Amino acid sequence: MSAFLDGLLTALQPGNLAALLAGSLLGVFAGAMPGLSSTVGLALVLPVTFALDPTPALLMMVSIYMAAEYGGSITAIAIGVPGSSPALATTFDGYAMTRRGEAGRALGISLFSSMSGGLLGTVVLVLALGPLSRAAIAFGPAEYFGLGVFGLSIVANLVGKDPFKGIVSALLGLLFFIVGLDVLTGAPRLTFGTNALMDGLGLVPMLIGFFAIAEALGAVTGRRRSAPPGGGIAGALPKARELFGLWRTILRGSAIGSLIGAIPGAGATIASIVAWNEERRVSKTPERFGTGVPAGIAAPEAANNSCVGAAMIPLLALGIPGSASAAVLLGGLTVQGVAPGPLLMTERSELVYALYAGFVVAVLLMLAVGRLGIPLWTRVVRLRPSILMPLVVAISLVGTFSLRGNAADAWAALFFGLVGFAMLRGGYPLAPAVLGLILGPMIETNYRRALSLSSGSHSIFLESPISLVLILLAAVSFAAPAVRSRLVSGRTRAPRPEPDTHDNEPRREEHE
Amino acid sequence: MAAAGLAVVSLAAGGCSPSGKGAAFPSRSIEIVSWATPGGPTDLLSRALAEAAPPHFEGRRVTVMTRQGGAGAAGMQYLQGREGDPHVLGVFTASGTVNMATGRIPFSPEDFTPILRIQIDPFLVAVRDDSPFHTLADLFEAAHARPGEVSVSGFGAASAHFLGFARLRAAAGDPDVRWIAYEGSADAVVAALGGHTDAAHTNFNIVREHLRAGTMRVLGAALPVEALPDTPSYAEQGYDLAPVHWRGVVGPPGLDPELRTELRARLMAAIEEPGFREYMERAALEYATMADADAFGAWMADEVATSRSMLRRLGILDE
Repeated sequence: MSAFLDGLLTALQPGNLAALLAGSLLGVFAGAMPGLSSTVGLALVLPVTFALDPTPALLMMVSIYMAAEYGGSITAIAIGVPGSSPALATTFDGYAMTRRGEAGRALGISLFSSMSGGLLGTVVLVLALGPLSRAAIAFGPAEYFGLGVFGLSIVANLVGKDPFKGIVSALLGLLFFIVGLDVLTGAPRLTFGTNALMDGLGLVPMLIGFFAIAEALGAVTGRRRSAPPGGGIAGALPKARELFGLWRTILRGSAIGSLIGAIPGAGATIASIVAWNEERRVSKTPERFGTGVPAGIAAPEAANNSCVGAAMIPLLALGIPGSASAAVLLGGLTVQGVAPGPLLMTERSELVYALYAGFVVAVLLMLAVGRLGIPLWTRVVRLRPSILMPLVVAISLVGTFSLRGNAADAWAALFFGLVGFAMLRGGYPLAPAVLGLILGPMIETNYRRALSLSSGSHSIFLESPISLVLILLAAVSFAAPAVRSRLVSGRTRAPRPEPDTHDNEPRREEHE
Repeated sequence: MAAAGLAVVSLAAGGCSPSGKGAAFPSRSIEIVSWATPGGPTDLLSRALAEAAPPHFEGRRVTVMTRQGGAGAAGMQYLQGREGDPHVLGVFTASGTVNMATGRIPFSPEDFTPILRIQIDPFLVAVRDDSPFHTLADLFEAAHARPGEVSVSGFGAASAHFLGFARLRAAAGDPDVRWIAYEGSADAVVAALGGHTDAAHTNFNIVREHLRAGTMRVLGAALPVEALPDTPSYAEQGYDLAPVHWRGVVGPPGLDPELRTELRARLMAAIEEPGFREYMERAALEYATMADADAFGAWMADEVATSRSMLRRLGILDE
């Protein structure tokens, strides 16, 4: 404990505090800007850290990482465009709430959940560094395959009214992921001989195309309403009672985020979608998810922020970056002469504790910066769609370009914009396609990798308990909505589906 | 200290810059085009260079400009288009020459002007501490005895890492070792650490901390590594080859030979800066600057040729 207090004193020194604050501001900005992400924010400050001492350099970086995970939800909630991919699940209920005229409430729930998730993820990092790092390496090809299939089974809950259209959407996403170099053989697939498609179709262009450009096209053609009806109560924040009433949701979301975040390569996007789905599953009124329920915002936001602490587990304990952002952090550590690995805790404990304390301070600064920004964002929401949407598209395209300095990404975003627009007009949900693009590579590569290791025997997926459990969960999760609706229609007299008694859907009565 | 360095180098650079040719070099800031993953080893080299270079370029700003995409082709295309401009540089690596050999990128070494190879990063084969293997021969003998059951994880397919290992395997008489490709070198090390594969083919800096902690061991390194005095090199174990990952600076095509020599001299001075030396040490990399720019050019051409013949031998490339 005293080591942690020493770390706290270090983090609160003026220079270090300034680094943390600068990181929070930049992080919220990078997260909120569609196209930019925590990875881009970190890469931007990497040159700056050359000139800093190790402690402020690392504190600034963790602060950016943390704040960007909340920042992503700002645009997700305010305009329905995820500022970065981990905020994808937040659009489901966050934007729905905004369209009801409750942007301030949605942002408040997101901020509170992000803060709680960030703190809980830090607690997990401090207390479970050793065990979770061992669990992380237990994840081999079979286990990743199981996780990917389990993630994809969530499609069943995202398909909307028409399961057929939802499945078509997911298959489209799986088709798009095939484009690019095959990881296992290095052969180009569906690149049509062009070098520009070699790196595949990225997630960011897809998110920008689907959620910014397609939406803007809809607004222009008058087919979709993009803004809430009138300003109304857009600025009102949620009450403290409502926030604390979400504690179960936040705990579950953080637990999911901490587990999935610690697995290298899984990451915050998958964790937040799984958290949203899990919350929907345990809810008494799952059919209301996606229409703007508080738990639908709290769960993914708690999950993606708890991933930040968890992503540090393989990085600090094994020297293995578990995410693209953690890879940039590793670069920053290398420059500072800090070599993460099994010996870091014993050799550089003062730095590690300063880092732990820095996480706590970063979360609190994120809360302050985020809270100050809410009035501004709720004002953005009130802009007329004819002004707002062109701005969103312009900013998104610039963001997409600057991600890799590659104009092909902006073209890809425009392509996805047209695809998304066509899908929306045809009544096809977009989220399953995104899930397909994210999880397709994880499923395919690890399936083939596992079979390569097992000399072609499929028993490898059943011999691993983790993989077996995940595949069974996937089967249950995929079948559940169909079974449930069958059961409900069979008992037409029953007023509502059988409630799950072990949980309560948090305080919906307040806004009804 | 920076000011003093600047004065000294300005004098030195003045001595070898082409005189009486209009605008003196550099006439504006220097760009380093980076097509590598942010925070990765190649990106870090670009950034360390950008930090160390300004005093040796009359105090001009040196910026790293990210242009990723197309397996590096987006950035390379930009560099190639700046014909004769000494203000635009790029960091080329073993991955670049392998991608040339496979035809993944539509370039050849002649499309650029080689200037200075800076560092090498020898490949090595590492195992978890409880592995039954202690030498490369142990690994290959097991593969001979149980064909297809011994697996080695590493970065990429038909990549620099893959070819580095393929050459070693060829030297060992082509035992049936299974190559399990991963998205990154670190992921490949995790696979070996987790016991999913029998060994990882990687670079020293990635496993350095695990070696110090005793959680991993090295079966053999392509070249003797200073920090691993007890680890025999490939050659010492009877495999006569030394595949390395390398990184160096190239310019756009059509650089004036005098400017090329001058650029090399300025960059040589930059990589001697204490800050750059510190970066090299912290990243566990070795200086390997070669005799002159032509030697580096010959090295790149040779790398493409060696990769190509290995790819043909493996049937990955036709003819």
